[in-house]
Amino acid sequence: MEVETSSSSTANLVDKAVVPGDIVLDLTSMSDQTIRLGAGLRQNSDVLSVVKAGKLKFKKPNKYWVESSQKRYVPSVEDTVLGIVVDARADNFLVDIKGPTLAFLPVLAFEGGTRRNIPKFEIGTLLYIRVVKANSCMNPELSCTDANGKAAEFGSLKEGYMFDTSTGLARMLLRSPTCPVLEALGRKLSFEIAVGLNGRVWVNASSPSTVILVSNAIMRSEFLSDVQQKILVEKLMQRVQG
Amino acid sequence: MEQRLANTWHMTINEKKFIETALSKNIRVDGRSPVDYRQLTIKFGREDGSSEVQLGETHVIGFVSGQIIQPYRDRPNEGTLAIFTEFSPMADPAFEPGRPGEFAIELGRLIDRGLRESRAVDMESLCIVAGKLVWAIRVDLHILDNGGNLIDTANIAALAALLTYRKPECTLGGENGQDVVVHDPEVREPLPLIIHHMPVAVTFAFFNEGDAMVIDPTHKEEAIMGGRMTATLNSNGDVCAVQKAGGDGVSLSVITHCLRLAALKAVDITSKIKNAVDSYNTARALRKVKRHTSLVAPDITIPDSVMKDNQIGQLAEHKAQKFKEESTKTFDTESVVGIPKETDLFNKKNINFIRKDTDSFIGGPSNWDPYSQSKPPNFVRSSQISPGSSTVDHKQEARTMQIESNSEETKSNNASSGLSRTSSMSQQRTTPKSLKDAVKPKSERKNRPSSASGVN
Repeated sequence: MEVETSSSSTANLVDKAVVPGDIVLDLTSMSDQTIRLGAGLRQNSDVLSVVKAGKLKFKKPNKYWVESSQKRYVPSVEDTVLGIVVDARADNFLVDIKGPTLAFLPVLAFEGGTRRNIPKFEIGTLLYIRVVKANSCMNPELSCTDANGKAAEFGSLKEGYMFDTSTGLARMLLRSPTCPVLEALGRKLSFEIAVGLNGRVWVNASSPSTVILVSNAIMRSEFLSDVQQKILVEKLMQRVQG
Repeated sequence: MEQRLANTWHMTINEKKFIETALSKNIRVDGRSPVDYRQLTIKFGREDGSSEVQLGETHVIGFVSGQIIQPYRDRPNEGTLAIFTEFSPMADPAFEPGRPGEFAIELGRLIDRGLRESRAVDMESLCIVAGKLVWAIRVDLHILDNGGNLIDTANIAALAALLTYRKPECTLGGENGQDVVVHDPEVREPLPLIIHHMPVAVTFAFFNEGDAMVIDPTHKEEAIMGGRMTATLNSNGDVCAVQKAGGDGVSLSVITHCLRLAALKAVDITSKIKNAVDSYNTARALRKVKRHTSLVAPDITIPDSVMKDNQIGQLAEHKAQKFKEESTKTFDTESVVGIPKETDLFNKKNINFIRKDTDSFIGGPSNWDPYSQSKPPNFVRSSQISPGSSTVDHKQEARTMQIESNSEETKSNNASSGLSRTSSMSQQRTTPKSLKDAVKPKSERKNRPSSASGVN
């Protein structure tokens, strides 16, 4: 009985909006289970409570987390983000990733990086990088290689246009199956895009009008449903061709 | 140092190059053409002389206040006008609290010059006793969000606030006729300022060493522009002020081209400001009527429009819901209070009036239905009054105000009689009234068809 009510109340909250203080799960009834908690959830003795407002998500078999969207970014490990070089020091670059502090990118954190071939990044260079270390008390550390040490598309992005979005929109753009607005745009236009989980998006295409079209379509699609996104793209294409 | 770097806004090389390349092909990043303004929204607060202007993402509020002071020695019969700006740190990470920066001072000076040197605000009408007492008008501009082009937005905010400000009426009295009596706004209607014309600022940004020019730059465009010029003109085409402080040099032909463009834009913006101010004034007048019948007044309704009441109430509620939805979406219309265009049954005033009240009221079950629960009394009041007010025109408003001051029943045979009757019945109001009470029993209905049709 107790299990039923708690599981039914959990099932009710999954994919719903939750606010800090909501109780997601009552652990007294469960034993011998490992539950993985993601962002926004905390265990207080016997209950799992929400600490961050957002949507509760659940992935089988045992993963719970809260997804929220905001303009600021909280650095977390293994995120791929877009950073702007702000300064170059002796052993690392200072990079702005929209977090509370600047992040450090070690000068050697490149594929085949040695003291002899340190890349020269000007102030204002846009980089596609990976977060390696992220604590609330230290400056985050970044790297331009993947876990194996290969370059894997990390590094500076040339040309193109970058704009800021919320973290929620960035995650939506990265989801699989592909987000409808990107799919609809991709059918008619050819462009390349890099999405940073810190709420930055970079778009590049052969002509500036394509870039502007893609960036405006993405910026407007944040709160639209799938169908609405497709309609938005169709209307934009008609206006351009007409 | 590092923390300050973390908090400032950074521009990438990619953006700079892209915006310049796009401009060389005459396209802008937000899809506008180089001579288009962003969406302009002008709203007003409850008090006279407070305005809120949004130009795209830029957000400025203006507030006008008046004080009685001694005039300057060399201008004994002129009032004074002063502009103050406050660049709130929430508008931009570059704004620091405390002393105004260079740009803040430049903005204040520019708006001041546009208003003062062109004699837009009549200073002599601000004089109360020559040489002794004059009005000092103070305009405060608060920058809430810097999305680019603060000058134009702040100027529109200042103009809108000045056009809707009312100063209390003063009369001379006392022994020598030297004592000044400042009348309370409730006693005597405050007076608007005399504004001769509207100087509108239009800002241009130059790129690529003077090759490309855009109007109304956004924040990013401002960050990479080579130079900026502001031209203040009025709708007659008179140039009130021109400001170009440093930056890339531009040729004379470009400047004359800019001035011609600015003249066109000034006409456009002037008409938008005028429309917004007009709607505000009509809403204000309607509010005055409501205030004088400050009690719930179910008897106001014209008897032969009882059927109309239901329709009006329905439409009011429908509009309330529509506006509720609209207010949650981003505001797309340009005019002040989102006046929908269908106005066969009602005139503009009526719809304005309903909108004003639904601003502060979200939701609630149907308020016109006497059988539904929870009727917020304000809305009941407004929906009752609106049929009456739809037939009240300006002449009658003046009459109703006099009735209020006389506080006696009048003999006038139209809506105003209903108003005065209710003021005498003030003590009887206890429970919130409903539509049922609105229907006067047949015995009490006077023979009013001629007056009602006359008013209609």
